[in-house]
Amino acid sequence: MSDASVYPEPNNTFKHSKRNVLSIIVDNEPGILARIVGLFSGRGYNIEALNVTVVDIKENLSRITLETIGEQKVIDQIIAHLEKLVPVHSAINLADLHESYEAEISLIKINYENEDQNLKTLALADIYRTRTVTKKEGIVIYEISGTSERVNKFLDDLNGINGIKVEIVRSGPIGLGI
Amino acid sequence: MNNSEELNGAQIVLEALKEQEVDTIFGYPGGAVLPIYDAIFGQNFLKHVLVRQEAGAVHAAEGYARSSGQVGVLLVTSGPGATNVVTGLTDALMDSIPIVCITGQVPTHLIGTDAFQECDTTGITRPCTKYNYLVKDVSKLSEVIHEAFEIARSGRPGPVLIDIPKNVQLAKSFYKPRKEISFRPHRIKSGSIDISKEFIENLISHVKKSTKPVLYVGGGCLNSGPKASEELRKFAELTNIPVTTTLHGLGCYPGNGKLSIGMLGMHGTYEANLTMHDCDLMINVGARFDDRITGRLDAFSPDSVKFHFDIDKSSINKNVNVDFSTNTDIAYALSAINDYISSNNIEFNHNQISNWWNQINEWKSTDCLKYEQGEETIKPQHAISRLNELTKNKNTIVTTEVGQHQMWAAQYFQFNKPNSWITSGGLGTMGFGMPAAIGAQMANPEALVIDIAGEASFLMNIQEIATAVQYKLPIKIFILNNEYMGMVRQWQELMHGSRYSESYVNALPDFVKLAESFHAVGLRAKNVSELDETINEMLNIDRPVIADIWVDKKENVFPMIPSGAAHNEMLLSKYDEEKPENQEKGKVLV
Repeated sequence: MSDASVYPEPNNTFKHSKRNVLSIIVDNEPGILARIVGLFSGRGYNIEALNVTVVDIKENLSRITLETIGEQKVIDQIIAHLEKLVPVHSAINLADLHESYEAEISLIKINYENEDQNLKTLALADIYRTRTVTKKEGIVIYEISGTSERVNKFLDDLNGINGIKVEIVRSGPIGLGI
Repeated sequence: MNNSEELNGAQIVLEALKEQEVDTIFGYPGGAVLPIYDAIFGQNFLKHVLVRQEAGAVHAAEGYARSSGQVGVLLVTSGPGATNVVTGLTDALMDSIPIVCITGQVPTHLIGTDAFQECDTTGITRPCTKYNYLVKDVSKLSEVIHEAFEIARSGRPGPVLIDIPKNVQLAKSFYKPRKEISFRPHRIKSGSIDISKEFIENLISHVKKSTKPVLYVGGGCLNSGPKASEELRKFAELTNIPVTTTLHGLGCYPGNGKLSIGMLGMHGTYEANLTMHDCDLMINVGARFDDRITGRLDAFSPDSVKFHFDIDKSSINKNVNVDFSTNTDIAYALSAINDYISSNNIEFNHNQISNWWNQINEWKSTDCLKYEQGEETIKPQHAISRLNELTKNKNTIVTTEVGQHQMWAAQYFQFNKPNSWITSGGLGTMGFGMPAAIGAQMANPEALVIDIAGEASFLMNIQEIATAVQYKLPIKIFILNNEYMGMVRQWQELMHGSRYSESYVNALPDFVKLAESFHAVGLRAKNVSELDETINEMLNIDRPVIADIWVDKKENVFPMIPSGAAHNEMLLSKYDEEKPENQEKGKVLV
C-alpha cells in the first residue's frame, strides 16, 4: 500500500482494466456533479481526471468529461446508471466508439537555476511545440496541448533535466466522437 | 383556485398535492415546516397522519404506495426530521416504491451557517433517492412538485425528495397547474412502450423449442400495475410454463394457481430452485437477479437461454448476463406478446414439456416446506399456516418486518393477488412492517391488514402503535415471538459454530401489557391449543391488536441455499448432512 493513501493502489486493483473517457451531457444545475461523482465514489472507484464546463448557454447544458480506470462491465453499469440520472441527457464511453478524438491542455511552470537547465528546457519545449505563456528571470510557463499521452511524454522528458522545479496543472482529457 | 391569486409557498405545496389527488400524507411537524402545517390546518381534502417518529412516516408512505399503486407522500421537518427518513428512502429506492418526501429546511440565508436543525438534506439523500430538489425560488415550486410526482412514478419507480426552506414556504408566487407545465422529456425516464416484432417472434420461437422453460417473476411485474399480472397469467396459461416468483413477486401469479412452483431463492422451494438450475429457457419478468435469488453466480442456471424484461436498463446484465432483453413496460410487453399469439393463432404443444412437469412434480413431492407440529410448543410455520387458513376468505394485506418470520410468511402464507404483500426485500429494514401496515390500512380501510412480525423487529418502530390507535386503524400485529433475532441466530448456528453473539433479545416487554398501555388490545398464545382461538379473537376485534405468539425458540428457516452455494446445493432441513463445499467462502457473503 502506498503511504499516500489508505486505499489500495489503482494499479493493483484494476489489473485487467482499461482507461475510459466518459462524455456526459447534463443540465447545468446544482448537485449534478455530486450525483455523477457519487456513482464512482460509492463503488470505491477513483476518477483520474474531470472536466466540467457549460457548453450551451441557451439550453443550460454542461459537458462533463471524466477519465476513470475500471473493468468494462462496471463501466457499462455506471453508464446505464448515468443515463438514469434525471438531469443527464446522454452518457457515452469514448473508448467504446469506433472513432473519437481527445485532447487536453496543460500549463507547466519551470523554475531553473542556470543557463544549462534553461537551454535543455527550451530545446524540449521546442520539440514539443509548446507555447510560452510567460518568461521571467529563472521562471517560464509553457502551455502544451494534445493527447494525454503527449503531455505525459513531455513531463517525462522534463524529469530528465536535473535541478529544475516543475509545477503542473492539467485540464484532463476532453474528447468528441465522430 | 383562482389562478391569478398569489399564494405562499406552503399553499402552493397544498395546491399541487390536491391536483396530484393526494388524500393522505404521513408526517411529523417541526420548526422548519410550520408554514406547511399551517396550510394543512385550514383545509379538508388532505388527511394528515401524525406518526411518532419520522421513520414511521416513510414506511407508512411505502405501505400506502405498495397497497394502492399510488405515490405515497410524507412531510417532515429539517435536520433530524430529514435524517430520520434516510433509511426509509433507501428502502424505497431498493424496492422501487414511488414516494414523495417533502422536508422543511432552514431559511435560505441561514443555509450553510450550522443553523439550528440544519443539515445538508439534499447532500445526505442524494444517493438514496431517485432524485431530489432544494427549492430556492418559490416561483419554481409548482413545477418542482409536479415533476417530482412524475419522476417518482415513471420508469422504475422510486423516492423523490423536495427540500423547501422556510422562507420559500412563506414567499408569494402564483400556482402553476400541471397542464401548464411541460416536462422536459430527458428528465422523465419512462420505460419504452414499444416492443419489436422480432423480439416477440424470437421469444415465441424459443418457447416453442424449449423442453424445460421457467417464468421467473419479480416486483417489476407488480410495479407495472394489475394488468401486468393478468397478462402474465394469460401468457403462463397459454404456454403452460411453470412460474416461480421472487419475494416481491408473490401474488403476481396466484400462489394457488396450477403453474405456481412457489418462491425461489435463498429460502425458496426446492422445486423452484431446481427448476431454475435445470431449465433450458428462463424468462425473467421484472426481477433483477438479486444475490438472494441467484446463489453462487458461476453455478446459476448454467444451461439456459435467458430473456429479461426490465424497465431499468441498468438492471440488464448487472449480475447475470442474459441473451435477450427489453426495457419495455411489462404490462405493455406481455399484452403485445399475448396479442401476437392470439392474432396469429399460435399454439403451444404442452406435451413437449410434460416430462419437465413430471420432474418438477417429483421435486415437489419432497414437500420441502414440511414441518412437525408437536402438541405443545407452537411451530412458527404452523402459526403462519393457521393464520393463512383462518383469513382465507378475507381481503387481506400482509406486511412484515425482517427476519425469519418474514421468510415463513413468504413460504406459508398464500398470496393470490398482487399488492396484498408488502415487505422490505432489498434493504431488509427491521421495523418496516408496522408503519407499512398503517399506510396500507389508510389506503385500504376495508381490508384486513396484518403485520407478521418478529419481536426484535417490532421493537424497532414500536412507537407507531400509538399512531394506529389514534387513527383507529385496526391493524393486527402478529408476533412470532422466539426471543431471538432469529435470522441472526440461524446464521450463527450454521456459519459461526452456534456462538450466539448478542442475538438473544433480553428483557423483552410484556407485549400484552404494552398493547394495553397504548390503548390497543393485547393477546397471547403460549401453546398450540390456544393458537386458533387467539387468531380468531384477533380477527374479531375492530381495533389495533398485538398478538404475542410464543413459538419454538430454536426453529430455523428451511429450505436454505447458504450464501455462496448454488441452487442445487440447498439444505432441506437441519438434518441435511450435505454441507456445501463453499461454506468458508460463503461466510464473507451477506
